[in-house]
Amino acid sequence: MKTILHVDMNAFFAAVEQQSNPALRGRPIAVTGSEQRSVILTASYEARAFGVKTGMTRFEAFERCRQLILVPANNRLYTHVSTEIMALLKDYTPLVEIFSIDEAFLDLSGSLRLFSGAERIAYLIKSRIKARFGISCSIGIAPNKLLAKLASEQHKPDGLTVFRSTEIPGLLENMPIQELCGIGRRLGRQLQGLGIFTCGQLGRFPLAVLRKKYGVIGDQLHAMARGIDRSPVVPEESSAPIKSVGHSRTLRDDLADRQAICAFLLQLAEMVGRRARRYQVSGRVVTLTVRYADFTTLSRQQAQADYLAGSEEIYRASVQILDSLALEQPVRLLGVRLSDLRFKTGQLPLFPLERRQYMLTEARDCVNDRYGDFTVMFGSLLEQKGKGSHVISPAWRPQGVRNVAVQ
Amino acid sequence: MNFTIEKEVFLKGLARVQGIVEKRNTIPVLSNVLLEGADGELRLTATDLEVGMQSTYPANIRKPGKVTVSAKKLYEIIKELPDNQVSFNAKENCWIEVECGKAQFNIVGLSADEFPNFPKSDKGQFVTLASSLCKEMIEKTFFAVSQDESKYNLNGIFCQLQENTGHLRLVATDGHRLSMIDKSIASTASPQLSKGFILPRKGILELKKLAEEGEGELQLHFMDNNAVVSKDRTVIIMRLVDGEFPDYSRVIPKTNEQQATIAVGSLLHALRRMIILSSEKSRGVKLNFKNNLLELSSSNPELGDAREELDIEYQGLDLSVGFNARYLLDILQVQDQDKICMILKDNLSPGLVKPIKEDGYLAVIMPMRL
Repeated sequence: MKTILHVDMNAFFAAVEQQSNPALRGRPIAVTGSEQRSVILTASYEARAFGVKTGMTRFEAFERCRQLILVPANNRLYTHVSTEIMALLKDYTPLVEIFSIDEAFLDLSGSLRLFSGAERIAYLIKSRIKARFGISCSIGIAPNKLLAKLASEQHKPDGLTVFRSTEIPGLLENMPIQELCGIGRRLGRQLQGLGIFTCGQLGRFPLAVLRKKYGVIGDQLHAMARGIDRSPVVPEESSAPIKSVGHSRTLRDDLADRQAICAFLLQLAEMVGRRARRYQVSGRVVTLTVRYADFTTLSRQQAQADYLAGSEEIYRASVQILDSLALEQPVRLLGVRLSDLRFKTGQLPLFPLERRQYMLTEARDCVNDRYGDFTVMFGSLLEQKGKGSHVISPAWRPQGVRNVAVQ
Repeated sequence: MNFTIEKEVFLKGLARVQGIVEKRNTIPVLSNVLLEGADGELRLTATDLEVGMQSTYPANIRKPGKVTVSAKKLYEIIKELPDNQVSFNAKENCWIEVECGKAQFNIVGLSADEFPNFPKSDKGQFVTLASSLCKEMIEKTFFAVSQDESKYNLNGIFCQLQENTGHLRLVATDGHRLSMIDKSIASTASPQLSKGFILPRKGILELKKLAEEGEGELQLHFMDNNAVVSKDRTVIIMRLVDGEFPDYSRVIPKTNEQQATIAVGSLLHALRRMIILSSEKSRGVKLNFKNNLLELSSSNPELGDAREELDIEYQGLDLSVGFNARYLLDILQVQDQDKICMILKDNLSPGLVKPIKEDGYLAVIMPMRL
């Protein structure tokens, strides 16, 4: 039997803001994206009391809470604090799986004796995070990841919940199915259509029916409802190699003009190319994602003749895909992604023209590494404001290719 | 058609066409071999429309005719037969009966009418090459041919007659390294030879196999956009690569600043040892040139590192340069002299490798960053 601990920072972005600015402590605040059209990312517990929730527009939020203080996101600060907290967690076990910027799983099975038990580790983690960053967190301890996450959800903020294996059937009997990580709103509603509301009901539901409807997922649902989850805690070092490098951004204003769209694609291509080159990968498939003003989204991909990592090449490939589309509406979001990756080897090209291009890119990256992204850039990007990544992706990680620098 | 043939002869003929037949099976008849019997001879033909091969073998033709059948299946059958006479009988609707001793096979073929036409060579003006020379020239350049199908103009060996020396030159490159050989041939210039042409990768492989089969001469001539090579009773036809070969002369270093003389055998073995601990992705090995000393090293963060010293002749400046060990091994493996000359400028410029005694061969290799 394993011992898994799930730690979840409470209202992470808002808590970090309240710590860095004492004037915000104890007051209802909400962190919004740094983009003009962004929604509420996180609300402090004071604001949550008024009903302000993640995903609301500013307007909706003010309707609930007149005295709400909006704070634009300071993503660099959040990624920095997250990186420090995740490093702290590694003091208790090397098996730390970073689940998102503010959540992590720890497999404590091997370190229980060193620290006299899981609950003591939980207290140590909570007090160290509180002392150093002033942030509270909720911790769940259970025999697997599924239940550990469920446990940490039980008491917020600043909770500690332990599920012992003997209590689990009783706990799950009346647990609503949507509480399980992995059962979203849509799946939840479908299951309710079958008369399944609690984990107890799902666990007793005929497996054959679930299998017929959901295939292998049916088996998984059945197991989840009975508290069974065999997925291991996977630390970053041993997780599967990344499959793609991509960036997408919602535009400041919806764009219909090809030239303006292309200029934005160039910026995205530079971001993708830089990140690919920094981690020494090149990719053969370029994908362009376009979201229209009405939120319909389409993605088109194209295999290239050669493996690319150069910003210009990625740009040219994405414009080629753009030109193959007949744009129906103004564009709200654009995304560029490089996949089918392979490692670059540091082999220099033999032919002078390619070699010059290679050296030029290398020199440009070198300057930008030192003086910041977009210090040396394409002339057509000079006029663009707010270049770079402004949103922390759910796949953000403190190390490796997924460590995207955010503004 | 009905004939009998020695098993060994039939097997050899079928083995030769296995490399030619289309494997992707986009056009079914291209995975077949065409068998034509007439005048005491069996003629086997295979093609994938890029490279084709035709050869004749002695057989006892009882009833002339022609038919096509899966080259792979027929080869597999003949291979397992006892050493004896094989009887081959084409019946109605392209059914074929193969008999040997007490074994009998019935397989279905396709009509010979569906098989693409194999051009009749006119044998106008041709170039004669000794098999051994042809084999050597291909062996010393083929490894540098690009494997990347998207670089179609590098997917072959560039051949050109050098007007000033009368030598035939073969060059191959994949954009990271280059291999080139010049050898004198007895030949009159032809427009195709002087202009230069690119032989496709697959065709070269077949040509090399043909050159390896005993001594004798190869005859090369051109038809439309094809090169036709014949030897004894076999003809290979290949469509030339339609593309411009890059200006390779610019990448061959002209100055020789730091020059080292190294024994081929000891460098080869040292590299084979170093490559074991090189990074699997890059295969990079570091070469440190010091006074009369070459220090080789490799490291792999997941495994460890390795180091070895070699005595060489070198009086140049200290120089440290990284190379893909595979590229160096490819060059060393085809050397027939015991020493090579390595001529370098710095760690960002192409290096030149050639045998100590000029014999028309040279290789250029671009360093890598380690």
